[in-house]
Amino acid sequence: MSPRRLLALFLAGLLALPALRAAEHTLTLADSRGRPVADAVVSLHPLDQPAPPAAQPAPEITIAQRDSEFVPLVTAVRVGTAVRFPNEDKIQHQVYSLSAAKRFEVPLHSGATAPAIALDQPGVVAVGCNIHDWMRSFVVVLDTPWFAISGRDGVARVSAPPGRYRREIWHFRLAAPLVTEITLTDDDAATEAVSLTLRRDRHPARREPGADATYP
Amino acid sequence: MRFRLRVLLLFVSLVAAALGVMLFVVNRSAEREAVAEIERRFAGATDTFGQLVARQNDQAAAFASLLAADYAFKRAFADTDAITLESNLRSLLLRADAHAIAVVMPDGATRAAVRRDGRRVSEGLFSPLVARADELEADRAEGCVWLDDELHEFVLVPLLAPELVAWVGLGRRIDTDLAADLSQRSGLEVVFGRVNPPRVLGSTLAPALAEAFAARPRDDTTPSLGGERFLVAAIDLPDLARAGASAHVLASLDARLAPTRRLQARLLLAGGLLLAGALGAAVLFARSLSRPVQALAAHTRRIAAGDYAARLDLRRRDELGELASAFNAMSAGLAERDRVRDLLDKNVSPEVAARLLRDGHALGGEEREVTVLFCDLRGFTTLSEGLAPPELVTLLNRYLDRMSAAVEEAGGIIDKYIGDEIMALFGAPVAAADSADRAVRAALAMRAALAGLNRELAAEGRPPLGFGVGINTARVVAGNIGSHRRLNYSVIGDGVNLAARLQTLTRREDYAADVILSESTRAALVSEFPLRDLGEVVVKGKTRAVRIHALG
Ligand SMILES: [Cu+2]
Repeated sequence: MSPRRLLALFLAGLLALPALRAAEHTLTLADSRGRPVADAVVSLHPLDQPAPPAAQPAPEITIAQRDSEFVPLVTAVRVGTAVRFPNEDKIQHQVYSLSAAKRFEVPLHSGATAPAIALDQPGVVAVGCNIHDWMRSFVVVLDTPWFAISGRDGVARVSAPPGRYRREIWHFRLAAPLVTEITLTDDDAATEAVSLTLRRDRHPARREPGADATYP
Repeated sequence: MRFRLRVLLLFVSLVAAALGVMLFVVNRSAEREAVAEIERRFAGATDTFGQLVARQNDQAAAFASLLAADYAFKRAFADTDAITLESNLRSLLLRADAHAIAVVMPDGATRAAVRRDGRRVSEGLFSPLVARADELEADRAEGCVWLDDELHEFVLVPLLAPELVAWVGLGRRIDTDLAADLSQRSGLEVVFGRVNPPRVLGSTLAPALAEAFAARPRDDTTPSLGGERFLVAAIDLPDLARAGASAHVLASLDARLAPTRRLQARLLLAGGLLLAGALGAAVLFARSLSRPVQALAAHTRRIAAGDYAARLDLRRRDELGELASAFNAMSAGLAERDRVRDLLDKNVSPEVAARLLRDGHALGGEEREVTVLFCDLRGFTTLSEGLAPPELVTLLNRYLDRMSAAVEEAGGIIDKYIGDEIMALFGAPVAAADSADRAVRAALAMRAALAGLNRELAAEGRPPLGFGVGINTARVVAGNIGSHRRLNYSVIGDGVNLAARLQTLTRREDYAADVILSESTRAALVSEFPLRDLGEVVVKGKTRAVRIHALG
């Protein structure tokens, strides 16, 4: 091994070093009345380097139809992820998305017979059921590996190498994603509190059986 | 002013005043009623209109919601270009009871919009509606939108796929049809207008009236349109106000008062007839009053002229009839007074006059014993020679004056003057037991008075006068003698004639007497008088002789 190659290796190691180190970015999300906001997707998009390539082969996730609801409500994935819609109900569902990020339609189906759908564009894919208006699910397709979904306590933790990032906070009740530029450092252990102004959820509420046909 | 005219004026003004007051009261209360009724309707109009618009919006929202839930429409919205979507909307609009249909993006941008009349819809008109719905977190976006110069009430509902991707909804024009609809519900006229510049959008008024209404001063709540009085109230509709438009309800006060006007016309007609009737009645009444009054006046003038014989016959039982009766009684009284004056002319004493006035008719005729005295003037013809008539009358009256005074002082009355002859009565009309004594005393007094007069005449250088007196006492008939028009109290009978004859006897030289009295007078004397018996004589026209005496 020549000294030049050794140097090259060393330099490569130096470059790879930040990738090995990780800073943890912790957010506490609350609405304007201070209540914790769950199901918000926090993603960090690097400004100074390209995001690392996605894993090969493409991973696969599932969004189940269970008791005439999509489970889970919010999913965050990297571009290239495939999604399946297994039906665990006895009744059939017809799953669709009219979102620009992914237009698809899964005809009426039962069981796990529906094919996987590849999410090859970043963006939010709003999934609905043509038969049940209240059924919905959101798949946030991201171009970055650094993201997290807030829990019921409103806390979201993202681990990413130190550096400058465009931080996006998405929630289906936000009029638009909340975008901020942040810089992560090694010793960043602080928790940032972010207040979100949520819109009214215009989604039709599910009516319980029996209450279904009660029109005054 | 004539009495008749006054009565007329009083009648007419009373009826006219009653009529005027009645019409005024009817007019006033009817106007108040009408205004109150209109204002009641006004008060309900805002609610009525609010409900109407809400119902229409609910219907539009129901249609839009069905459309929004339609998966095919969702796909059409997501998949097609603007032109194709517009075509789709045009076909959908045919099914809807609306004038326009629109698909609006969540940010308010117009994705596609179509009007029933095919006109283009400008960009950006719906963003205020969507912004307001977002702000209010409302289920639907609604409000007024100007499409060119036409105002539409739009209702937009969310298009969920499954989240809100757009708004879709229908617009109904604020126009004459809507005005007619509201008018039918409220019973009022309705005008929709743009505020600035003022322009009519729809109205149930005739176009000319609607234009006049739009041009009226803004705060005029009782405008006169086409000569008709209207009441106006603004309908409070926030959607309209936000779009710079207004809605007004109107009611014609005159139209509402029309039945009252008809009633008033009828009242006026009835009043006119009443007035005419009252006028006629007043004329008749005034005539019935003024005619007898004029007759009374004419009658009074006749009485004043001395015509007591005239009688007034009004043939009435009322006060005027009584007045006429009173007038007649007065005439009769005056006539009686006139008659009685004849008696009073004879210068009776007050008690005699009183009796005559009291028992005027009782003097009709009675037999009683009286003493009659005749006195004839001698030497007057000589005396009167060379005298002018006035001087002659003056001299005669001077003589008669003295004689009359002597008679009356002795208690007699002058019955009459017959030229220069005097006839005097004693014991009538008031009976006197000593009538003969009175007559003799009168003769003595007359003789003395004549002597006194002769002394005066001598002093005046005139020749003396002489007289001859005849006195008789007899039963005669006394009473008012004459025609109906002129009565004189007098006496008639042989005894009277005898007295006159005795007077003529004084001319006989052989008697040498200026006063001759009959035996009956002498026999009636109570007092003693110096008498000289002249024997018996048969006077002219008599067969039996009478004894006569000369007063010494
Ligand atoms: Cu379903």
